[in-house]
Amino acid sequence: MRKLCITLFILLFASSAYAGKMKVVSTYPYIASIVDHIGGDRVRVNALARGDFDPHTVIPKPSFISKLRKADVLIINGAQLEIGWLPPLLKQSNNPAVNPGSSGFLDLSTHVKLIDVPKSISREQGDIHPDGNPHYYLNPHNIPLLAKAISEKLSECDSRNSSYYKSNCRNFITMWNQKTSQWDSKLAALKGKQVIEYHKNYDYLLRYYSISLAGTIEPLPGIPPTSKHIESLEKMISSRNISFILMDVYNPDEAGRHLSKKYGITFVKLPHDIGAVPEANDIVSLFDEIVRRLTK
Amino acid sequence: MNRLLLILPMILVLVCSSAQARDFSDTSADAKNEISAGSPFSQSKLIPDISLTLDFSCLYRNVSDKKYDTLKSPEFTLASTDEAAHGHDIEEMNANRGFNLNYAEITFYSVVDPYFDLFAVCHIGTDHAELEEGYFTTRGLPLGLQLKAGKFLSSFGRINEQHAHNWDFSDNSLVYKFFFGEEGLNEIGVRLTCVVPLDFYLMFGAEILQGENEMSFGNKGFRSINGAVDRSGSQGPDLYTGYMKTSFDIGDLIVFTGISGAAGKTQNNHGLDYVAGTTTGNAVSADSYIVAGDITLRYSIDSIRYVSLQTEYLYRRQDGTLYNRDVLNNVTISDLRKKQSGLYAQFVAKLSKRWRLGCRYDLLQKNEVKHNGMNAREPENLPRYAGMLEYNPTEFSRIRLQYNHDLSKYEYETGTPGRKLNQEVIFQYNLAIGAHGAHAF
Repeated sequence: MRKLCITLFILLFASSAYAGKMKVVSTYPYIASIVDHIGGDRVRVNALARGDFDPHTVIPKPSFISKLRKADVLIINGAQLEIGWLPPLLKQSNNPAVNPGSSGFLDLSTHVKLIDVPKSISREQGDIHPDGNPHYYLNPHNIPLLAKAISEKLSECDSRNSSYYKSNCRNFITMWNQKTSQWDSKLAALKGKQVIEYHKNYDYLLRYYSISLAGTIEPLPGIPPTSKHIESLEKMISSRNISFILMDVYNPDEAGRHLSKKYGITFVKLPHDIGAVPEANDIVSLFDEIVRRLTK
Repeated sequence: MNRLLLILPMILVLVCSSAQARDFSDTSADAKNEISAGSPFSQSKLIPDISLTLDFSCLYRNVSDKKYDTLKSPEFTLASTDEAAHGHDIEEMNANRGFNLNYAEITFYSVVDPYFDLFAVCHIGTDHAELEEGYFTTRGLPLGLQLKAGKFLSSFGRINEQHAHNWDFSDNSLVYKFFFGEEGLNEIGVRLTCVVPLDFYLMFGAEILQGENEMSFGNKGFRSINGAVDRSGSQGPDLYTGYMKTSFDIGDLIVFTGISGAAGKTQNNHGLDYVAGTTTGNAVSADSYIVAGDITLRYSIDSIRYVSLQTEYLYRRQDGTLYNRDVLNNVTISDLRKKQSGLYAQFVAKLSKRWRLGCRYDLLQKNEVKHNGMNAREPENLPRYAGMLEYNPTEFSRIRLQYNHDLSKYEYETGTPGRKLNQEVIFQYNLAIGAHGAHAF
């Protein structure tokens, strides 16, 4: 019993050591990295999902509840990317500070223009996102919009450090714009090329750099490839000049590798978030690595 | 009344089917324009999340339906007159050989206002409908407290809170079925939970419930024909539960464990008063206690695949009085002491995006029943084995094949009761449309 008391005391003490910092929880690691740049040492940020797993199907671990329970701010990707796992956790954590609509809640998708918003919605079309494609952060030109939204939210919730967050945000955007111009010049070489994706993860990037998407390995969003669909892809491939097959790190890659081998198309495994590949360990190196893999 | 309950949700669903389910984040300008194009007073954006789940099965069993109804797990199954006496709200799932439409379930959920959430589930069988759950939860109590009130599945144990479509197998575990019935411990009452602000998950909860559950509790009271025995039943809630649940991660392994307890009064009538077609009957008045421990281990192999092990142990003690009515309607009274326990352990593996397989071991373990101190020597250690293979085309549809090898049942038709092997093959379809609520762990 005494041991238990001591353990509990230490745990309580350990958590109070962070008491001075604002506690931010983000759903995905890429958000946490931007928060790190802007919040610096005045916030403590925790990402829930792992960057190397499928962002659509995150296991709703009970340990996430304890993180949400203590959070001052919750920042989500939105556009229904978290619909399959976050709502029950939020309900169970019962923290009114971070419920949607409250001041400690930020949905980043409301700060960018979403593409592929479906005109009609039926699950006949697979597991579609009714608000549009939610993978908007994979275009580096969207990141400053997210940084600004995060800086504003942090300033709103912690007004004492408002100027600190704002100046960090300005510095981050300056640095980011320099990096982006490097990436722009490298990716310009890919203009007009045609690619195949597994899932529509990289459409924002493709569209910005005028790379055209010829097809997806999934017949419909969320549906694994069928032999019939692969056949139709093969027919399409033989009539076009496909430069890359883009693959995420979490879906089975047999179908992509098969097509790559059969038709001699370059197979590129791209990270979609921080931690997906060892080289991508923050928001900058994530894009460095995406660009490096695409222009290698 | 039942018919009304059936029709009402149907109409609502039809009316609402054209409107999109609301998510919690959408504020895009397009969506706003869409509304203003219609009626200026349109409230379609305020329609709650609605879903419909349908469960259909095809079953083969090695014993006939008639015989199956007479098979019992001694002292776990209630007396055969019970169904005639009470009528069960929820039909048994997969009851008949051949086709079974197990249920349709309509779920409504929405935020009420900044202070409350409301949730309701209508459970619809082929010939009845009932409100399976209907409760509100608070949104903003301090100190991590949350109050739930209404009719709900108790958070006692691990699996009790889960709806049938969320189970890993086509049927409930034996111990839950015999301690709480087909739909689990589902009661009217209040619940207060608290998530402790630590670096790992720790939750405490307590419930005050009406105590209507007929398998372990019950509060209707009873009266013998001659009036010599007259128990009025309880006035007000008399079932109390409490639990503690904790969870932590060790690398890719999630550990989730809890202990639960329930204490309540049992006043159950199994035909003490005359029931048509029966010659004898009984009633029980007792204090009942149930304790349970559970642990779930789930290991993620990668983003898609996992293996999980889940086990629960339940122990029930009942101390009270048994009233037996004989053929001449004389009532004999004896002291009754029951100590019963059971467990299940299940292993489930997700092999790919669409395939899962699993096996489950059920055991009704201890079965000590004493009448006036005399041990009735009821059979103990009654097992059932199950295996399942599941194909999930998407997260909205599931096709499951399950085999049950059930050694927990006895037949009483012949002079001496004997164990009867009961084998089942269940082919189950479970489909969901509408707003698809994410499941808790």
